[in-house]
Amino acid sequence: MTRTLPLLLLLFAPLARAATLSVTVRDARGGAVTDAVVYAVPEGRELPLAKKTAVMDQKNRMFVPHVLPVQTGTAVRFPNSDDIRHQVYSFSSAKQFQIPLYKGTPANPVVFDRAGVVTLGCSIHDRMTAYVVVVDTPYFATTDKKGRGALASLGAGKYSLRVWYPEMTSEPAPVPLTLAASDDKELVVTVRK
Amino acid sequence: MRSFQAKLVYLTVAVLVLLLTAILIAVHVAGERTMRRSVANELRVGSGVLDRSLAGRGNMLSVAVRAMAADFAFREAVASADRPTIISALSNHAGRVNASAAFLISLDGTVLADTLNERYVGRPFPLPSLAGEAGRRGESTSIVSFEGRPYLFVVVPILAPRPIDWVCMGFAIDDAVLNEVRSLTQLDLSVWNPAAENPLMVSTLRQQERGELTAQMRRIAPSGSDANATIEIGNDPYQVLLHPLVTADGSHIQTLLQRSIDDARRPYRRLELQIFGLSLLALIAAVIAAIFFARGVSSPLHKLAAEAQQIEKGDYSSRLEIRQQKDEIGKLASAFDKMRKAIAEREEQIWMQATHDSLTGLPNRTLFFDRVAYSIVGAKRNSTLVGMIMMDLDRFKEINDTLGHHFGDQLLIEIGRRLRQTLRESDTVARLGGDEFGVMFLAEEESRATDVAQRIAAAFETPLLLGGVSIEVNGSMGIALYPVHADDAATLMKRADIAMYDAKKNHTQYAIYEPGRDEHSLRRLAILSELRHAIARDELDLHYQPKIDVASGKAVHAEALVRWRHPVHGDLKPDEFIPLAEQSGNIGMITKWVLRKAITHCGEWNVSGVELTVAVNLSALDLFDAELPTYISGLLSEVGLPPSKLVLEITESAVMKDPAYALRILRDLKNRGVTLAIDDYGTGYSSLAHLKRLPVDELKIDKSFVLNLRNAATDDIVIVRSTIELGHNMGLRVIAEGVENEEAWQILKRLGCDMAQGYFISKPLPASEFGAWMTNHTGNSNLARNPPAGETPSVIEPL
Repeated sequence: MTRTLPLLLLLFAPLARAATLSVTVRDARGGAVTDAVVYAVPEGRELPLAKKTAVMDQKNRMFVPHVLPVQTGTAVRFPNSDDIRHQVYSFSSAKQFQIPLYKGTPANPVVFDRAGVVTLGCSIHDRMTAYVVVVDTPYFATTDKKGRGALASLGAGKYSLRVWYPEMTSEPAPVPLTLAASDDKELVVTVRK
Repeated sequence: MRSFQAKLVYLTVAVLVLLLTAILIAVHVAGERTMRRSVANELRVGSGVLDRSLAGRGNMLSVAVRAMAADFAFREAVASADRPTIISALSNHAGRVNASAAFLISLDGTVLADTLNERYVGRPFPLPSLAGEAGRRGESTSIVSFEGRPYLFVVVPILAPRPIDWVCMGFAIDDAVLNEVRSLTQLDLSVWNPAAENPLMVSTLRQQERGELTAQMRRIAPSGSDANATIEIGNDPYQVLLHPLVTADGSHIQTLLQRSIDDARRPYRRLELQIFGLSLLALIAAVIAAIFFARGVSSPLHKLAAEAQQIEKGDYSSRLEIRQQKDEIGKLASAFDKMRKAIAEREEQIWMQATHDSLTGLPNRTLFFDRVAYSIVGAKRNSTLVGMIMMDLDRFKEINDTLGHHFGDQLLIEIGRRLRQTLRESDTVARLGGDEFGVMFLAEEESRATDVAQRIAAAFETPLLLGGVSIEVNGSMGIALYPVHADDAATLMKRADIAMYDAKKNHTQYAIYEPGRDEHSLRRLAILSELRHAIARDELDLHYQPKIDVASGKAVHAEALVRWRHPVHGDLKPDEFIPLAEQSGNIGMITKWVLRKAITHCGEWNVSGVELTVAVNLSALDLFDAELPTYISGLLSEVGLPPSKLVLEITESAVMKDPAYALRILRDLKNRGVTLAIDDYGTGYSSLAHLKRLPVDELKIDKSFVLNLRNAATDDIVIVRSTIELGHNMGLRVIAEGVENEEAWQILKRLGCDMAQGYFISKPLPASEFGAWMTNHTGNSNLARNPPAGETPSVIEPL
């Protein structure tokens, strides 16, 4: 049931020194898969923890964005743009936390130091859901309405291209990828949705 | 016989009972049907209520469980991955929603934790169908049979906020659940799982009833869709409905609803009782109405019946108030009244006819007797006398025969009228029959009786004038008085009758009853009744008395005299029973017997050489027997005796009864050669002219003239002498009877009398002795000197 389908890879000629990768995620019927996270994990290289920050806002009783990919070690702030309170929590094994009911922006951001999908919820608004996808790579993108996500500034080397999307029941097999310095590739990944 | 009232009541009751029974049966049948339908309906509704209740409970529990699963602390505990924490949280939260069992199941269907002592941890969830359903629909709620008990299981995901695990809560469907429904439906409820070892999983019934129900249901063993059945628990009937529950695991759990038929029947029973009560009231009302109605009908009928009984007793005075009713009863009453009047009139008529003589209009013997009896009762109280006179007319038969019956009737009417005129109003005059009249009067003393008799005699001294004919009427009256002669009416009448016969016999106008006469009369009656048997019993016998030829001294005639050797009264002489034989009509028989006997004897004597003529007396009635001459001729020729050897003696009065007829018979006899003699001459009234016409040969002077025949008694000698001379002048032989002494014998001899008879010569002798006597005296001229010794001569009245 959770078998991966074969990936169709279409390769185009590279452009500059740093390679770019454009990935389109489609489902079995050819429809665009939005809010899918595509990310390329370099093989054989240890990457330092990122000291970056990210924001997961709360507007109109929704998390914005719905899917937030971050590099491992990123500190994410959870500002509350609504005029009602929210209580943000996660019971996911990658990061368990909770921010008691609050308004405005809490003082401390939450640092996601382990790779994995962290499912967010608000304990007083059951319908509010969001995902923080913690990956061990700085090369990631969220697909747009056309199912496209672009990865840039990739150095030459071997990568493992992975895809995650909310409805996913099992992770598709990673796509091995070797990039030259100025490669500019486009990929189409078909997932079972 | 039942009364009308009772019949009407019985009928009313019978009809009503039938009707009411029919109604009660109809009500019962309809009630039973309705009750069954209503029970079935209640069961169906109850089953629906139970379904709804379980579904509602499922929904409620599902909501509760989902809320519980969303509980932040619970999710936090589950996320802790610490099993003891998870189990304690699971128990805690299961307790919150009153769940009996709780499971935490991983998304792949493995039990992570349970509240059942972790029996299922690490194993696949025991109700995979529920998990499957939950996987498809996000949650599932269903009834299942778990560990032998019915449960409502709810499986919901634990959202964090995406599903991370399943939590499953089981709620036992227990007595409390069923009791809740029971309180709504009044039905007993159970959950039934035919597949289970103990199929009755839960029930509102008591323990003992559960056992019985299980046994009963096992016998019926229904399956599939709804099934109705009637069972018995503790002898009480129940209607049950088995209704399958929808289960997720496909087990055949059914709800079993039951309704007590007795309970359901109770309102109908009450209705039936009410109808029964009303029926009884109606019945009582109808009976009362029937009684009143019947009384309305039967009470006049009772009155009529009572009236009819009065009429039956002879009371015709009306007591009926005849209401002017137009109905049948009114008509009956008026018809009844008419009938009563008609009966009264007719009875009056019949009474008149029964108590009065139609010819004279006088009371008859019956009424006379009644009045006498009635008067005697009064007289007994007042110590007065009741006198009675019986009167019999002399020679009435003669008048009747001579002047005709019509004249005779007129005469009787006239006599009745004269009697009535002669007597007081208070006296009773009655015609007792024929020419016999009765008079009854009340008297203060005995002398009044003779006064009345004399007044009656005086009244008849004046001849009656009828149709230009003057009739002289004489009567014989017998008088008897209460209490002098008799104590009761019947005896009084009998004794007046006896006195009347005495008067007749003595030729007096009236006679008063002599005490003792009645006993004589009784003896007469006894003799009368025995007379007819005397011949058959051979009790009659003949004696013979010789008649002597005065000149020669020879016995020439023998007079046959009949004797009756009565077994009780001894020898009876003819004057004691011959008049009775004449009265009773037996005289002809006796005469014929005497004739046969005498002719036979005479024949025997003649054959043995004794020359004799036999003399036989004839009664006056014999002269009316036209067959007699032929009979005598037959006898004579039978015996072979010449007719001249028979003398028939007839009294003067006998001939005078009907001279013309007697004359014809006498001539007939004379023509046959028989000798005829006039007996008892001188006592009657026959004239010589009359005598001259009779064809007789001999004349017997009555013994009353001969008995005292002495030389001194000149009167009798004159009569005897002139009679002998007269007889001789008419060419007749003259015989004297009653010769009892020599003096008479000598006088008769001197006067030239032809024959003599009497005790001086011989008393009457039996036939056997007479033969001997004849032998001794034949030819003895001096027999007068040898009268039979030792005999006291007495008066013998020959027939």
